Amino acid sequence: MIKTIIRKEFLATLRDGRLLTLGITLLVLFVGFFLTSMYELQQLRAEKHSVGTTAKEQWNTQSVKNPHSAAHYGIYVFKQDTPVAALDPGLRPYIGQSLWLEPHKRNLTRFNPAADQVLAGRFGQATTSFVLTALLPLLIVALTFNSVSQERESGTLRMLHSLGVDAGQLLFGKLLGLMTAFSVVLAPALLLAAVILLGNFAFTLDDALRLLVLMLVLNLYYGTFAALAISASAYFNTSRTTLFCLLGFWLASVFIAPRLGAVSAEILAPNPNASQFWREIKDDIDHGLEHDGDHEERAKAFEAQVLAQYGVSRKEDLPVGFVSLNRQHNDAYSVKVHALRFDALRDNFVRQQHLSHLGSWLGPSLALRSLSMTLAGMDLAHQRHFEDAAEQYRQYFINLTEDWDRERSRGTERKATGEETDWRSVADFSYQAPNIGFALRTAEVDLLVLLLWLGLSVGLLKISARRLAP
Amino acid sequence: MNSVSPVLAAQNLVVEYRQHRAVDNLNLQIPQGCVYALLGGNGAGKSTTISTFLTFNRPSSGQVLIEGESPHANAELVRAKLAYLPENVALYEVMSGLENLTYFCTLANIRLSSDQAHSLLLDSGLQADAHQKRVAAYSKGMRQKVGLAIASAKQAKAMLLDEPTSGLDPSAANDFAQRIRAAADRGMAVLMATHDLFNAKQVADRIGIMKNGRLVEEFDAHTVQHDELEQKYLAHARGLA
Repeated sequence: MIKTIIRKEFLATLRDGRLLTLGITLLVLFVGFFLTSMYELQQLRAEKHSVGTTAKEQWNTQSVKNPHSAAHYGIYVFKQDTPVAALDPGLRPYIGQSLWLEPHKRNLTRFNPAADQVLAGRFGQATTSFVLTALLPLLIVALTFNSVSQERESGTLRMLHSLGVDAGQLLFGKLLGLMTAFSVVLAPALLLAAVILLGNFAFTLDDALRLLVLMLVLNLYYGTFAALAISASAYFNTSRTTLFCLLGFWLASVFIAPRLGAVSAEILAPNPNASQFWREIKDDIDHGLEHDGDHEERAKAFEAQVLAQYGVSRKEDLPVGFVSLNRQHNDAYSVKVHALRFDALRDNFVRQQHLSHLGSWLGPSLALRSLSMTLAGMDLAHQRHFEDAAEQYRQYFINLTEDWDRERSRGTERKATGEETDWRSVADFSYQAPNIGFALRTAEVDLLVLLLWLGLSVGLLKISARRLAP
Repeated sequence: MNSVSPVLAAQNLVVEYRQHRAVDNLNLQIPQGCVYALLGGNGAGKSTTISTFLTFNRPSSGQVLIEGESPHANAELVRAKLAYLPENVALYEVMSGLENLTYFCTLANIRLSSDQAHSLLLDSGLQADAHQKRVAAYSKGMRQKVGLAIASAKQAKAMLLDEPTSGLDPSAANDFAQRIRAAADRGMAVLMATHDLFNAKQVADRIGIMKNGRLVEEFDAHTVQHDELEQKYLAHARGLA
């Protein structure tokens, strides 16, 4: 029986002028936004590659100079976005796109696109992900709000009831039929997007898996909306009441829940402001972490340890450059403090992300958006992974320059030099983005929330079926 | 009229909605081959009686029986033994008459070949050129014919009609009445709620008049003339009886 219902719902939905009109409108919107996003992504990737190559070449071609002075020239590194970011740019507008690596200090990323936007840009911020996560659920609401109430109003529900049709099979048949019709309308847009992506980007297996999983969770999300809409349509007596309630739910899920979640997270787990953050790092370095002693005490202890290690009584008599050695020691401490503070800050970001799900009781959109940006590699966790890799690279090339400085000087002299062959010997920053397993582990709370909503919607559909009266 | 055990029966049936007694101690029996017309004004309880047989509502007391069994205890009875035609036969507008027939029959576990489906529609009076047209373009009479085809396909023991000729032109109403009579002659028990005295007299074997939920008079349709029927009906409607 359910196959017959699915087939009928599928055909009826396809023949319904609403699906065609709304489907074509959304297809045009989707393709428009997607092409814009893809163009932006291509431009950004090309710019990052070009600037990165230029910056490294400028590093490579530095003149003969002190290795530490060369290190102060610094290196810019960039995170390359995955092709899936064309579907969901995630936090890109709000996160700095470049990271300047320099001695002594670990920097935050700079130049977030949102800060560079002209005022008019604020009015046109709809993206492909907005179509996928906000407008398509609205299409589902528009298609399903009267799926049962219309049958009640027209009398077909009484006809079905008189035939002894099982209400559960009727509602689940409607759900599956509608989702099949919806997929048929959505498929050309997604297929087109996939072909364009494959034609314009080098797709790895991991990219393909991320895209597939994103499509899967989007379908779960749409299924949740459809099941809730059909339940509401079965529960309320009129199509008008159902539509009002569903529009309210859509607004709450898409617009209010993320805002509520963000505000709750900020209240319950506030971030330090920038000046406080940097002041605390400076204080930790100056005064030392617990049991480490202050800067002066640490410097004295280190000097004594070095003199003892080399069996000399004065720094001037050391067979290696003490200035560099001391700097490395100070930098190592700075790295330790920076790591603690950066990790604390980013752990708080994670805490905030989890707390933001306090808004998820209003709808599944918050969880889906978070999951989507994680799968696109455009979330905080992927950013943290990149920044950690960049930090490793910073330590690598700073230590290398310090090694040259230390080995090419003696005592307290500052005469060590390096030349182009040295600078060229510094390896390029080669960042390996984490795989989909990392993304799924990161998004496990989002996934859980989404599955809970799906379970709830299916449960409500079952309850509605039990209560369904003609 | 056959005197064997009834196909449809109401025994001391009471149906109440929020303190309002819509059907009050109704007793009736409809045997095989009998067309029973329930007459009465709006709110008399006719449609509620039909809805109770269809299990759309539950009796507050008493019971309805289909071949001696309660449909409220065995919902499968409704699907297996009843056909239902409301005032406005509800069909899916975006589907053709043929598709509607096939869909409703499949849900009732009746598999029809294309030939059988066309034949049922033709037998019900729907012209062949209308079979593939979407129902949105059908008149009320054409929808009734699709409804009849569904009822015929079910080979139900009983048919429940709720104001079936309301809004039909005289020719279509007459055509419809003949088809109902033919169904009864093939052995179907028919319970028909109607305002249409002419139609009731034309097609029914027995007539019951309901008022305020009670069956106030019941008689053999063949023993009354049209005028007499009209007088009885109006007398009850005006509270003169």
